[in-house]
Amino acid sequence: MNLEKLHASLEGGISVLVATADANGIPSCCRGIAVRPGEGFETLTVYVPVATAHETLANVATTHRIAVSFTQPLPHNSIQVKGVSRGVRMASDAEQPFVREELDKFAGQLDAIGLPRRITRSITHWPAFAIDMSVEEVFDQTPGPKAGVPFK
Amino acid sequence: MKLSDISRCFQGVIPSIVATADARGVPNVTYASQVYYVDEKHVALSCQFFNKTRRNLNENPNVAVELHDPVTMQSYRLRARFIRSEKSGPLFDTMAMRIEAIASHTGMKGVFRLIAADVLEVTKVEKVEGFLTGDACVEDDEPVSVSGMRTELRGLQLVSERINRADDLETLLAAALDALDVYFNFNHTIVLLFDETSQKLVTVACRGYGGGGVGAEVALGEGLIGTVAQQRRILRISGLDASLRYGRAVRREVIEGGRDVRPEIPLPGLPDAQSALVLPLSAGDRLIGVLAAESRDAVAFGEWDETYLDIIANQIALGIDRMTTADVESEVMVESAGPRIPIAAPPQRALPKRELTYYAKDDCLFVDGEYLIRNVPGRILWKLLSEWKEKGRTEFTNRELRLDPSLGLPEVKDNLESRLILLRNRLAEKCPDLRIVSTGRGRFALNIDAELEIVER
Repeated sequence: MNLEKLHASLEGGISVLVATADANGIPSCCRGIAVRPGEGFETLTVYVPVATAHETLANVATTHRIAVSFTQPLPHNSIQVKGVSRGVRMASDAEQPFVREELDKFAGQLDAIGLPRRITRSITHWPAFAIDMSVEEVFDQTPGPKAGVPFK
Repeated sequence: MKLSDISRCFQGVIPSIVATADARGVPNVTYASQVYYVDEKHVALSCQFFNKTRRNLNENPNVAVELHDPVTMQSYRLRARFIRSEKSGPLFDTMAMRIEAIASHTGMKGVFRLIAADVLEVTKVEKVEGFLTGDACVEDDEPVSVSGMRTELRGLQLVSERINRADDLETLLAAALDALDVYFNFNHTIVLLFDETSQKLVTVACRGYGGGGVGAEVALGEGLIGTVAQQRRILRISGLDASLRYGRAVRREVIEGGRDVRPEIPLPGLPDAQSALVLPLSAGDRLIGVLAAESRDAVAFGEWDETYLDIIANQIALGIDRMTTADVESEVMVESAGPRIPIAAPPQRALPKRELTYYAKDDCLFVDGEYLIRNVPGRILWKLLSEWKEKGRTEFTNRELRLDPSLGLPEVKDNLESRLILLRNRLAEKCPDLRIVSTGRGRFALNIDAELEIVER
């Protein structure tokens, strides 16, 4: 797996989507604010706002299954990782500048395509839960005929 | 909360999020290129590729969708169940057209197309409380006031009056586009007329583009305008930039896969348009042309604009049809009778030199080495210049053009008026010393303020 390309896909401001499902297979989604990969991309921490992630948290607690997609809005480059949660915690104060900075970079990207920065910055981002997950699969999700193939 | 309460979310300006799960409960999340409002209980997702979302829906019909209001960014969630996949019919056609237009525009026609419209039954609509901090929240639109409605109806009346009062096609188009700008703020508009012979649409009038543009051609089925003409259906695209970025992402992937694709087609007018409303102009079953409006505002055109412009488009189409029919019928009568407008005497001054060259093989005319015009309008100008040179004539009639088989005008609905408009505009742009001036119904004069040399090669 091309780790360099994978890390590059997180740069410059990204849109983060999170999906989970409950025990009956009913899916749920919410917007995440930031992701931070661990060593070798084997683990990942995704930050979701406390205000909007109740269902996500409940599902993660029950099924542990989680999918996280991150997209660079301008070129539409998109990656999806799937795996299981290793634990959920309240994000610490020390992590807030990183989360805020990621939201700002995302706002900058959307500003470049016509959505004013102030609008994106008004998305609630704090306090946040940090969901630590083990990455089991990585997919290339850039729109096109190859969308959904394993990332290499 | 009802689906119609969040109608702005379906304009596609901010991509929507779709979460599904497979039979084992493994979740998947992706952006939807289009979530289409069907009715108060149903929405449809566009299926362009047989992707994971599509496979999951076959295994597990439960879906979660998150949509965003393009003005406030407020988020809304839908709970839904996949109920059927439509591969034909009105819903499919409407959704397919938008995708086809974007695909065609980005040179991806045939590669990137709608496979199915996946219909979801919506069981719950809810606002995501706490999604925004409230700092930048913009309140919903104010309701339309009665006086507003009156103003709009009055505007409609004024536009109709101006269309009906027009004496010729050029005046009709200019008056219609002017009225749309002044009364309704459609600041960037284009009218293209369909030429059955070449199967192309030719720009005959435009407003808000700072001159030029007249004469630009679009092939049937090509780009936003060509797709509307081919399918005879209205196309309203908000967040055009987002749609094109999606199309370009697909294009990049296809090119990386080693496949050749066609070049991207330039936008009809504004290079940075964010929304477009494109309407076919038809009279009965016959395609007359296309009316297109563009805006730099991503949410400029709503349902109201679509309905309103559709009424105007019908009036313009009927006006053009009436004018071309009346033109042919009245020419015979006015040729020997009607009042003639005197031609102004040429000014007494040193005249500039112009060389007009007709390349018969390529069927096109150049002025001083620069391309001027081709095909039927080019042949018309060449006929006028030849008559002037050989017989000293400067006054002509539409009827004699129609009777001249060498011009290649179709026998029925020849669009002669639109070809003369095109010729007039091209001359004004490229050779202002040569003018075609109307001298009465069905008559015109060739005004020459230059020392002309005409050459055939």
